[in-house]
Amino acid sequence: MRPFKANGWHLLLLVICLALILPVLFMVANSFKTLQDSYHTMWQLIPLHPTLKNYQTLSRQVALLRLIWNTFFMATLVTLGKLSTGLLAAYAFQYFHFRGKKWVYFAFVATIFIPFTVTMIPNYLVIAKANLLNTALGVALPQLCDATGIMIFLKAMAKIPRSLIESAYLDQIPTHRLLMNIIIPILRPSIISIGAIFFINSWNEYVWPTLILKDKSSFTLPLALQNYISSEGGTNFPLAMALATIMIIVPLVIYMVFQRYILNSISNSGLK
Amino acid sequence: MNSNKQQHRVLTLLYLAPTALILLVFIIIPIIYTLYLSFFDWNLIAPTKNFVGWRNYLTIFTDPVNQKVLLNTLGYIGLLLVLNFVIPYVISIIVQFFIHKMQGVYKIIFFIPSLFSLVVGAMVFAWIMNPVSGPIALFLRQIGFTLPNWTNSGGLAIVMLCLITNWKVFGYNFVLLLTGLGSIPQNLIDAAQVDHIPKWRLIWDVVLPLNKSMAFYVLILTIVQGLQYVFTPINVITQGGPYYGSSNVLYHTYLNAFVLYKTGNASALAILTFVIFLILLFLEIKFVEGRDADAPI
Amino acid sequence: MKITTHFRKTAFLVAFLAALGGLLGVGGASQVQAASKVVNISYWHVNAQTQGGAAVDDLVKNFNKTHPNIQVSAKYNPNMYQGLMQNLQSAQASNKVPDIVQVGWAYTNYFGSNFKYLTPTAAQSKFDKNSHFITKNFTKRTLSFAKDSNGKLVGLPYSLSTPILYYNKTMLDKYGIKASDLATWEGVSGAAKKIKAASGNYGLYIQEPGDTWAQQAVLLSNGAKIIQKGKAAFDSKKGQAAYQLYQDMVVKDKTALHTPWAQGMDAFVNGKVAIAYTTVAQASHVKSSVNFDVQAITSPHFKGQKAVVPVGGSMLAITAQKTAQQKAAWVFEKYMYDNSSLVTWSKGTGYLPPTSSALKDPTFKSYVNDNPMLKPAIAQIDTAVPWTSFPKNGLDAEQTMIDARDKILAGSSVKSTLKAAQEKINEQQ
Repeated sequence: MRPFKANGWHLLLLVICLALILPVLFMVANSFKTLQDSYHTMWQLIPLHPTLKNYQTLSRQVALLRLIWNTFFMATLVTLGKLSTGLLAAYAFQYFHFRGKKWVYFAFVATIFIPFTVTMIPNYLVIAKANLLNTALGVALPQLCDATGIMIFLKAMAKIPRSLIESAYLDQIPTHRLLMNIIIPILRPSIISIGAIFFINSWNEYVWPTLILKDKSSFTLPLALQNYISSEGGTNFPLAMALATIMIIVPLVIYMVFQRYILNSISNSGLK
Repeated sequence: MNSNKQQHRVLTLLYLAPTALILLVFIIIPIIYTLYLSFFDWNLIAPTKNFVGWRNYLTIFTDPVNQKVLLNTLGYIGLLLVLNFVIPYVISIIVQFFIHKMQGVYKIIFFIPSLFSLVVGAMVFAWIMNPVSGPIALFLRQIGFTLPNWTNSGGLAIVMLCLITNWKVFGYNFVLLLTGLGSIPQNLIDAAQVDHIPKWRLIWDVVLPLNKSMAFYVLILTIVQGLQYVFTPINVITQGGPYYGSSNVLYHTYLNAFVLYKTGNASALAILTFVIFLILLFLEIKFVEGRDADAPI
Repeated sequence: MKITTHFRKTAFLVAFLAALGGLLGVGGASQVQAASKVVNISYWHVNAQTQGGAAVDDLVKNFNKTHPNIQVSAKYNPNMYQGLMQNLQSAQASNKVPDIVQVGWAYTNYFGSNFKYLTPTAAQSKFDKNSHFITKNFTKRTLSFAKDSNGKLVGLPYSLSTPILYYNKTMLDKYGIKASDLATWEGVSGAAKKIKAASGNYGLYIQEPGDTWAQQAVLLSNGAKIIQKGKAAFDSKKGQAAYQLYQDMVVKDKTALHTPWAQGMDAFVNGKVAIAYTTVAQASHVKSSVNFDVQAITSPHFKGQKAVVPVGGSMLAITAQKTAQQKAAWVFEKYMYDNSSLVTWSKGTGYLPPTSSALKDPTFKSYVNDNPMLKPAIAQIDTAVPWTSFPKNGLDAEQTMIDARDKILAGSSVKSTLKAAQEKINEQQ
């Protein structure tokens, strides 16, 4: 009876896996199809006339390596920014005491709830005035903080035993040493996991970079993808899928390397 | 003693300043500016703005299109809750308590769609689910069914758009909830087994209440992030149509702001959305943050 | 612990370098201007890689090579003319406008009354006093497309397109339908019924983008008017009859497909819809995607009426504010109208060249012979009318018409929907 029940659950879970992964396979399969095949052999995951033409066209039309570098650079900048500001702010909330702490925290967390349509244009105006249009810093600047990072680090810090902190105070260890040498190593799993998530989200970002980046040489991958979606002339689906497949490589690698952290400790501190 | 306090104050400022500055300049000030703009009639570039007082807010509640959009938003929230909260929760309970192998494998696979850009997801799903010529439609036709034309029905379009968002978000929410379930002490589970308490009772009476705070966090996240995420598929596939059938308050704000350039209307809608979210935020802080005995806030 | 500290240190170092790099514009095009007077101008277009983007790049590269003292940089704006207009709004709000842009016809009045620009006639008299560039190259009719509601020429027509009727000849032959049957909308309706009865496939798909271009063509081809004396006038007996035929096909007979543009065209290419009514700009995509014999003919008309279509595409407008940039933009603009430039442009986008000399150019003519689906589009240019652009609140008006279309295709009464839409638009005129 028991193994039968368990198999029933496994069947359900496998169906879910299939539903989630099939679109991915579809995307990759189409990247190796010709335009005609993509229309007329839709249900076939193995291309009838497999071709590398899409990838060749892409490498001819766009500077792939440059695109990947631009995207990587941008995502790294944003991730490092979010991590550092998040850690500093969380530390302040956890271990400092000051008046109005509740309100400041409330204000910070409220920023998660502000829709992007509100901030798009005013931010654009600020970046334009600061002459940062078309630069990586211009894209990254408004995104250097993320209150979700603060919330997560705060949760993780709360799990660190008070006794550890108190003994550090007794030993007169200065704040930044406490942060760097004790707290951060303890929080390492959280940092890695939330950092990976920040990176992947920033990698796929396109609404804001579209406003700021103007020259092809500064484009990121999602912007380049826009170049292949055309309502007026018709979208070349396999070509777009080839670019989409290229887009997924770095996030996939990061995921494979850090999945242990991402999947196990999004909210735990991994305290040993 | 004073210099210590001073040093302490300086330190506090130093640690909070980068975050505070960036959030202030790039998020908080824009929302205040939006509040200001919501009392005007403007098109973003005309040199003069027309002051109209509360008219934009009145329009929100009296314009039938706005009413439809607000109703749709409720529909979206309901559907998102089921797809992105209830279902991942049920699945995470199954994975945690009802099977004993391959948990890691499932976690890994479920999370993969979260790596994708929603633009790609929307494109792939729109292609696969083309109601006339997509592979699903063709397959169903072989076995005698027809895929309903979801693109020209508001309700079905909302379902499809939520499914696309669900594809991406399922893994992430699943992992969050699973982590919460995992932090429930194993000895409780073992004790229940020894006492022969049926699993369902255990889950309903013990596990769920213990996991309440994580669950509530994911619930709020589902609503807030869900509405923002579903914007991309709407933008790529239906543009809010047919006749606002798949539009929600976030997309409608975008339509007013960047398609029709009715900045005043858009600002009022944005403020309304923000107020609703703030209420959710208040509930979240009360029920989630407040639960943690060690919480500093 | 040592490793983590090291990691942290490295991380901060990288962040610092990154910020520095960002400040120095790494990853962005830095504008190092030589001491000589090189004028840099920016050109905004809507041409995705698959719709003329490559052609734009070639034209710009060639221009930069042959004009060393003017350097043009082109920026692609996703989401067509709507997307470009959005970006232009932001640019104007921050006072950093591009120098020359493509403005979609639907935005003629909105652009004309809200943005600062230099009219072609002003540019010509400022920089080219004795040339008759404009009158030499453009007919009065073509120029009328680019005039706002006050008769002012806002820009020079650049891309011209007309809607044509694509059909799946393989499928039509199978069921005994001839192209001549499709000369009238009534004929199209009949053919669609035949197709549906015999094969279960849809008979017709009319494009449904974020505008009502194709639907306007249907109304105009029944003798109805969209705008008259600055006010909406589509709620007439003729307008209602035209929309009624369309609605019957979608709702009653279920022979016409009602779905967003991308889905509809994919269904046609996949052989599930027999006839597609959409822009000539889709011709090369359709040609390379289908596995059946696809052809195109001119827009149908209603019995007893003439076929009238609105022209699609865009004009080039000079938004540069300083004289040096304006002059450079004018030089670039003239280059874009060279016969060879226009032929390259047309080949890349599927748009029709706006000058009669380019149409007569032998390279273009041989291109048309290789792509016969362009022929009906060209034939319609001489009778095309400007795309409706309402003088006031044009964007709202277009949205109202889109809403009316959606409502009618969902089954609402044609009469009352058109009436309400017309009244709503006219309230704001």
